[in-house]
Amino acid sequence: MSRPPQLLLAGILLSVFLTGCANKPTETPPAVQPANTPAAGKAQAGKKITVCLLPKKKGIPYFTSCAKGAEEAAKELGNVNLIYDGPTDGSAEKSASLIEQWTLKGVDVIAVSPNDPEVLAPAMTKAREKGVHLLTWDADAKPDTREFLVNQATPKEIGYTLVDTMAKDLGGEGAQGEVAIITATVTAANQNEWMKYMKERLPKYPGLKLVATKPSNEDQKLAFSVAQDLMKAYPNLKGLFAISSVAFPAAAEAVKQAGKAGKVLVTGLATPNDMRAYVKDGTVKSVILWNTVDLGYLTVQTARAVVDGTLTKESKTLKAGRLGERRIEGDNVLLGNILVFTKENIDEYEF
Amino acid sequence: MNRRSRQRFAYWHEILLAGLLSCLLVWAWRTDPAFVSRDAQVELSTHVWELALLALPMTLIVITAGIDLSVGSAMALCAVTLGLTYEAGVPPLVGSLLALLVGTAAGALNGLFVAKVRVHPLIVTLATLAVYRGIAEGVSLGRPVSGFPDSFGFLGRGEVGGVPLPGLIFAVLAVAFSIVLAKTPFGRCLYALGHNETAARFSGIAVDRVKLWLYTLSGAMTGLAGVLLVARRNTAKADLGAGMELDVITAVVLGGTSIFGGRGNLVGTVLGVLLIHEAREFVSWHWQRDELNLVVIGALLILSVLVQRVLSSGRQEERH
Repeated sequence: MSRPPQLLLAGILLSVFLTGCANKPTETPPAVQPANTPAAGKAQAGKKITVCLLPKKKGIPYFTSCAKGAEEAAKELGNVNLIYDGPTDGSAEKSASLIEQWTLKGVDVIAVSPNDPEVLAPAMTKAREKGVHLLTWDADAKPDTREFLVNQATPKEIGYTLVDTMAKDLGGEGAQGEVAIITATVTAANQNEWMKYMKERLPKYPGLKLVATKPSNEDQKLAFSVAQDLMKAYPNLKGLFAISSVAFPAAAEAVKQAGKAGKVLVTGLATPNDMRAYVKDGTVKSVILWNTVDLGYLTVQTARAVVDGTLTKESKTLKAGRLGERRIEGDNVLLGNILVFTKENIDEYEF
Repeated sequence: MNRRSRQRFAYWHEILLAGLLSCLLVWAWRTDPAFVSRDAQVELSTHVWELALLALPMTLIVITAGIDLSVGSAMALCAVTLGLTYEAGVPPLVGSLLALLVGTAAGALNGLFVAKVRVHPLIVTLATLAVYRGIAEGVSLGRPVSGFPDSFGFLGRGEVGGVPLPGLIFAVLAVAFSIVLAKTPFGRCLYALGHNETAARFSGIAVDRVKLWLYTLSGAMTGLAGVLLVARRNTAKADLGAGMELDVITAVVLGGTSIFGGRGNLVGTVLGVLLIHEAREFVSWHWQRDELNLVVIGALLILSVLVQRVLSSGRQEERH
């Protein structure tokens, strides 16, 4: 019972597939338009451009609020076609595939918040070789794979603010007690930088003792159980730093359900909308974050400026629409201003 | 005469898939001509080779009414093997061989449990799905290894005569698998096994040995896919290929292989892989919505199963 037609069919199919629809290219324009080559870069000033904004993970409130600001900037500028897409499961392979696809389409700027700098590096390098402007925002990639980083705040400011806020909420200079950190993943570049500065700042408060640092892999359920485990393992725990927007609400929920609201203080980074309930019921005293809407806004403004040639390696400031002048340090465009949300001011912010 | 006409009927599913695929490509060509250009297709094809490679042994396994859920995890384990040995100073080609060995061993372990201990493959591989991923994360501590030499990267990103190297490897293996399935006693045994294992056993087929070999083969392929993935992405990491097993099984089932065993072929699988690949890439190319992808793949699967039902109800008495 042999099946010759099967083999024949397989052969035909494979040859069609492997030649990549070779019968069609004559009728189709090249994927990358000449206008995107670096030489033609300056000529694009003021022209309609396409900017792709890639979040670490699509569909979480933090990045959705960034996208809101990005859309606002695109609308305000009027000559920016904004594409916002990313992996709904946070997979770095998918992010890389998206960058490759956008490069093929011949977009002008790709702004990446890298969920894994190493995995994305080959795709980012290739995009730059094809003449696409590469920016990073929210988190950095390997420096040679991008032109500018749109930086929400320096890691030092964030690390110091986290520790200072916790100390203040625990009673100021003389704060006493054991504290622990719940981070994102062990490889997350942002969090690792922040923790470096947190550890640098901690000695200022000799009463605070760091007892554990645990990853939560950007997984709400895992962060929840990590927080529970920490409370069991360290009965004298006074404070929990949950330094990712996914881990923070999960840790707060764990503390609340354990009936330890007020006894174990949680602080960290997340959007005010995510934390409002916990701030109002006292589980959380302070939420630390930058204005994420402004971060998305600034990223699109930076993209426009890079294409127009008004932002170069020598620039010291950038005119960014409603944000006014923003400072540039090296190849970092700084958003500045860390916000601390408390019971008193959290209702003023809606994102 | 009667027999021949029934043989022709057997390919309706493949014709349906080919039709769907052509519709999709024509639609893509009319709305986004750049999508079907040769450059774009060659570049985008790099996203599918691991899935395609893993679908080959999966087809054989599903034909025997088995399943291998551990392929994504085993691939990550192989990738991590390659990464860690490279970090320890072993040349990447030797590391690749080690990764192949680890993959083969992982597959053989599945095979042993399925064939000798006679545990249902769904349970065995559900367990190893967790175990292999756990080992990969444990030994690597989630740390990525990168910086492989360009000569090694050629394996995943290189082109020979305009055709991506992994594509060539896949083409050769696809033909080899087709021949094995259609022409060799081993291949015919798989159908017999899928139709009725007890009958196959009584008719003198060494069922256990066939199964052991089959799962071992699947393991070896995860090794190959893992090596190619690392070469392409220049990074070995424990979370590579998470959830991949579902994509692979979807492609196989979409390709017309019966999940109850006994029916299926590799032409269908190749078409299934192609259809999923092109649909996925086009959806994200055209609409830029990752969430839409999941819906489209699911809808395709349901559609193809429905049509398969309609086609088969007229000519075939219901099985079981």
